[in-house]
Formats: sequence, structure tokens, C-alpha cells
Amino acid sequence: MNTRTNDILKGIRVLAFTNAYAGPYAGRLMAQYGANVIKVESKTGGLDTFRHFGKDVDSSPRFIECNLGTRSITVNLKHPSGVQVIKDLTAHSDVVMENFRPGVLNRLGLGEEILREINPGVIILRMPGLGGKGPKSSYGTWGFNLTAYSGMTHLWNHAGQERPVGSQGVYPDHLSFIVAPTLLVGALLRRRFTGAGVTIDLAQAEATAYSMGVSYLETAVNGRDPEPRGNSDPMAVPQGCYPCQGEDRWCVISVRDDKEWSKLCAVMGKGELATHPKFANFEARSCNVSELDDILREWTQSRSPEEVMNSLQSEGIAAGVVENGADLMDDLQLRHREYYLDYPTSTVGAMEVPRGGLQFSDMTDGPVSFPPPLGHDTEDILRDLLGYDDEAISQLKNEGVLS
Amino acid sequence: MDIPGKSLLSGYRVLDISTEMGAFCGKFLRDLGLDVIKIEPPAGDPLRHHPPFAKGHENAEGSLRFAYLNAGKQGITLDLEKSEGRKLFLKLVEQVDVVLDSHDPGYLKSLNLDYNVLQESHEQLIVVALSGFGQTGPYAHFQAPDIVTTAMSGLLYVSGTPELPPCMPPETQSYYYASTYAAFGVMLGLWQREKTAQGVYIDASVQASLAIHEHVAFTYSAEGRLVKRAGSQHQHVAPANLFRCKDGYIAIFATHRHWPILLEVWEDHPEELDDPRWKTDMERRKHADWLNPMIESFTSRYEKEALSDLLQKRGIPGLPVNTPSDFQRDPHIQERNFFGQVDHPEIGCFQQLRVPFTVDGERDAPSPAPTLGQHNQEVFHQMLGLSNQELEALASEGVV
Repeated sequence: MNTRTNDILKGIRVLAFTNAYAGPYAGRLMAQYGANVIKVESKTGGLDTFRHFGKDVDSSPRFIECNLGTRSITVNLKHPSGVQVIKDLTAHSDVVMENFRPGVLNRLGLGEEILREINPGVIILRMPGLGGKGPKSSYGTWGFNLTAYSGMTHLWNHAGQERPVGSQGVYPDHLSFIVAPTLLVGALLRRRFTGAGVTIDLAQAEATAYSMGVSYLETAVNGRDPEPRGNSDPMAVPQGCYPCQGEDRWCVISVRDDKEWSKLCAVMGKGELATHPKFANFEARSCNVSELDDILREWTQSRSPEEVMNSLQSEGIAAGVVENGADLMDDLQLRHREYYLDYPTSTVGAMEVPRGGLQFSDMTDGPVSFPPPLGHDTEDILRDLLGYDDEAISQLKNEGVLS
Repeated sequence: MDIPGKSLLSGYRVLDISTEMGAFCGKFLRDLGLDVIKIEPPAGDPLRHHPPFAKGHENAEGSLRFAYLNAGKQGITLDLEKSEGRKLFLKLVEQVDVVLDSHDPGYLKSLNLDYNVLQESHEQLIVVALSGFGQTGPYAHFQAPDIVTTAMSGLLYVSGTPELPPCMPPETQSYYYASTYAAFGVMLGLWQREKTAQGVYIDASVQASLAIHEHVAFTYSAEGRLVKRAGSQHQHVAPANLFRCKDGYIAIFATHRHWPILLEVWEDHPEELDDPRWKTDMERRKHADWLNPMIESFTSRYEKEALSDLLQKRGIPGLPVNTPSDFQRDPHIQERNFFGQVDHPEIGCFQQLRVPFTVDGERDAPSPAPTLGQHNQEVFHQMLGLSNQELEALASEGVV
């Protein structure tokens, strides 16, 4: 019974200078659990780049996905009065987070020491691609080239390929946007005991390497780099991704032991293979992988991936649909978890947004508010939180500070 | 409470009964600074028999998978399938803040150790239960090796090149990713407990954790479009791909901002690229198949590291496609002190990753994984006050 809204972080205020994917999504996850996240942008050259993926700055679906639950203010950080507004906001914030390149806030007169002097308890989180220090810290990074730099692209491939393949995606962003809020809540807990704030630098390249630490140990201990191994696994044979009926439809199957192999043979209607000397035990199967893959492929390609999954899973054999975006929207299990935050009448049309991996007992996530139009909360926040009067606000507006 | 500067958060204790699926969660919690006690069955965690192994140590203490995923944890043995083992477990539960589990849904209930029972031992307990698909629902009891959860979260479909089947990322990424998510849940649970003195049960799903990935579901929902695998070719930008160099490959990401600079760096570029039509990302992306080989004729004159430095000096995001040893040797990583030495009782000394973040500019030294039952004496003696004699008796009964 999910009875009350999960707003565990209610009362926490986050000032977010975040751009693109990792930073904003980290802020969104804080907002999703009740934090008051104030996202700072500027119309004078400081807009989130994801705003440009829509028909106007408020209509980019990607921006919306990554900034749900946040509030929006616009402040010109190149104006001295704008810097003062940020200092005043810092005094009222628990967290200041940013994913600028290293040194940007420093140059604006908003470096760590200054923020800490204003608010000794503030938690500062920076998320530079290659870390805040070191000879390459100023290098331009993007999730995609961090994947390459960290060693992940090299290993994200089928065995024996001439060229690396890697991924079009930005896996390092995904890692960082879940590591970041974990660190933030950890730092908030720490502050309860110490009373002091703390500065955390999360290096996204290192977070990616951290997520392949076994490969790094192999290199360090055995003195040679592991090779790409695609869909194979030393603990399961056969294992792989096999074509199914339909265009670009695939399933995966993984068999760990003789018992599962024998059941798989029965489901395929090839019971005789269970005891065939070429396949009867793990060692034999390991020596005849490509023949096994041919047998499985022949069976899967005339079936739908759902049929493969259901017929094998009902026998306790690991199998799954290689789900695409449409499959995910229809996935029975995800629907059972009420996985999607639903925005049926949003300004950019109906959309459903994945919620995340967690379900807390007796609580339900959301609803999570739609991001407001750019700068929508500027005046309210200055007035209600910082106590600026109408005169001060209109003067700042006239000077172009709040744009 | 005294918190040393280098770790983020100490003073909390985790009982880690996780399997392969959740081991990374315990490791990450340990790296945040929490005390993590890993409970293995007396015969040892099956992960101890997973490759890769340290050369010459193909035994229960030589698995590098086990070594990484349990680094820094304390290790004890306890048979939860024996009633005496369960009694001791419940006594340990009284003294911890978090129980981390990743057995199949229903397993702990079958041992009469479900959340309600644990809560009787410790009202404010936080339990995080990681499973492939969640504790309830139509797929809750599906077999969920990493390849299945990766497939059913949408990540596999968009990974790889169109000419070949979808391709898994290295190691057990779906487990690691969900483990990280579960650690976020633990932090939230602890935060709530500090405020309200209430425990919580957190049902964490591998599929649901990873399915937020790459806008795969969302792009279909918002735009009705299927994201498909495209190698390393970026969806909206070109050149944004991997390009051959003399000694390997480089990943270049050049938007409209970088394009004119790239043409400057590439002094003898073909004249036709000066055409203003190539100034827009969309136009270059549309003709990426034509453009990419030309870019490669430029990149292949250089070594990957040299080209990366050359491009970065001009503000173009180019980084080499590193092997793990390239990364480890990189002067930047060296200077950041990302690797530290550990001394493992069986494997010996080696370099291991530290945490990927610094706390006020510092980070902890890494530590090794426990040998089987290494901390039995310490934990059972200090936490439960068992005498050596009692411990020996439990050992002879096969409980520890």
C-alpha cells in the first residue's frame, strides 16, 4: 500500500548550476524526492544546452525529462549584482551543485572559499569530466568521449573486431547522475554529525572506470588488458543475443548449468542434444560455442522474442526480450511498478517519463512537477526567500541582472 | 560523531548478505565510508569462483571479481539456512543500520527473515532488497542474469553496431548501475530515519534502474521514435564518432562551435568542407557517412594521445580510446592519484582504484577484500560477545 508521497528530502534547498544531462538529472533526482531545487540559468549566454532540442526553450522534451521537479531562475552571472544574488541564495542553500568546467565559478567570483565563507555548512558538489585537478582537467569532455577515455569503449565490443564500437550513448552521464545525489545525501548526513559543509569533486571519467574495476584489477594484477567479449560470459554457455522473427527483433538466452541446458533442449524440442557428447557438460559446450549459437539461432529466428522469453522463463531458464523504446513503454513489469510519471496534458503533448529504480514501502514517488517556463520563479524566489522588495527587484530587472 | 576527513560518511553499519547482483552496492557503501560486514555462507560466496583470477591463484581467494566487489568489507561466515545461524543473524541485525540483500524475491521469507521479522529485531532498520525486476509483479520470479536485465532495460538494444547483433557493455553493468541506485536509496532511507526515527524497506529493481537510460523509453514516449544502435555515431552531431589514428582510435565530438576550429587545425582539409552548408550540425550529421572517412584521413596521420592534446588545446573535445592500461598510465590519472596500492593476503600487492570522488580534496586509500571468514573472531566477539569456545562450537556445527 503506497500511501504517502515520498518527499524524504523535503526542506533541503539545492542551488543548481547544471547543464545538459548529468548535472540536471542529478538535480532532478533530488527534486523527485522532495528537495527544493533552484536551477540557475541566464538568457545572456547561460542556457542549458538541452533547451535547444525543442521548438522553443521551454519545449525541449529532453530538457523536461532531466529537469522535472525543479524551479527556474535567470540571473546574469557576469553582472556584479547577479553575483550578489547568487551569494544571497547560497546563504539560504544546503547544497550548491554545478557541472561547469573546472574554474568557471571561480572566475565569476563564486569559488569554493567564497561560498563557504558565506555559508560554512553548504555542501558543494562539482562534477568535472576529468576531475578538478590534474594536467587535463581543463579538457573538454562529453559522455561519449569519457566512455572512450575511461577504457569502456575499448571493451564494449564483440570479440575479435577490427574497430572499436562502443556506444553512441553517454553512459558516464548516467553513472554520474546517480552517484552525485548519493554523495549529496551522504554529505547531508555527514553534516548532521559534524555541522560542517564539505566540498565534493566527482570525476566522471573516474566514476566510469570505477564501474569497470574488475577489468582494471585484471590489468593491474595479471599485467595484461582484458579483451572485449561481447555477449559471452565465462560462467554461462550458451549465452548470447539471438535474432527473432521481425525486423531488428532480438532475444537473449543464458544457460548456467547442465540442468538448464537439458531443459532448454526440451523446450526447443531437441531433447537428444542434452546428452550429446559435444554439449553434455559445461566444458564440452564451451568448446562448441559457435555450433551451439547456430542451434539456438535456428530456433529463435522463427519466434517472437516474447515467445522465447516466456517459454524459457516458465522453465526457469534465463531469457529476455531485447526491449526497444516501445517495448519499455508496454513492459508488464514496469507497468506493475507504476514506472512512468505521467504528463497527459503537458505543453509539449502527452508524455510519460521513467521514474527510477526504487520503491519505498508505504510511499509513492511523485507527482513530480513539470519544469516551469525559463525564469518563471525568479521574482518569487528573490521576494519570498531572499526578502528583496519590489523596488529592488525592478531595479535588478532594469539593469538586466535577472535575465 | 567523529568523521575522518577522507571518507564521506562513517558511523553507520551495513550487513551485506547480497549475491553477485548487489555486491557492488556494498562496495560503494563501503567506499562512502560506511562499515560493511559481508556475510558469506560457510562454503564461501559463489563469486569467489568467478573469473578472472589472479594468475597462479585460481582458488577461492584469487578471484579478481570477488576481490574488487568486496574490497574494504569485513568478511564473516554464517549459515542462514541453519536456525542457529539465523539467531545470530538477528542479533547482528540489532546492531546495524542497514541490511543489503539481493537474493531472489521470497528467499528471505522462506527463511523466516522477511522485513517484518527483521524489524522485530530492530525497529529503525533499513532494508534494501535488490532484485532483477522487483519483489512483486509478473516478472518478479524471472531468472535475471546481467544479460537479461540489460536486455530488458533497453540498454542492449541501443548498444553495438547495426551490422552485428546488439552488444553488451563490459562487466555486469546492469548490476553495478542498480547497485549504485540502491545505495542512493540507502542514503535516502538513512536521511529519513534521522528525521523521523523510522525504518524503511526499499525494493530496488535492476530493470527499473537501468531503464531510465539514454532516453530510450522517453524518446519513444515523447517523440514516437525508436533509438537504435549506431556504433559510436552520435544521434545529432558529426563528426562525433571514433576515428582511426596511427596507434589506435580517438573519440571526437565536434559541434557547430568546434567545426570552424577543426578546419583550422586541419590545415589542408578538402576545399569543399569550407562550404557554409557544413556549418550546421544537422547537415553534417545527415552526411556523416560521407564526412567520417574524410575526417579519418586527417586523424590517421597522428598518434591518438598527440591528436587529443592538439585538439583539446584548441577547445575541441577529443579523447583517446584507451585500454585500461592506457588509462592507468595516463599522466593525468597518475597525478590525480586515482590508483592506490593494496596488499592482499593471497594475491599480494597490486594497484586498485580508489573512489571516484574527493572529499575536501582528499580520498581514502583502497583496501583489500576479506579472505573467507577473516573477521569472524572480531565481529562475533566484539559485536555479539561470543567466546572463542562458543565460536569453535558453532564452527564444528557448520554454522560459521
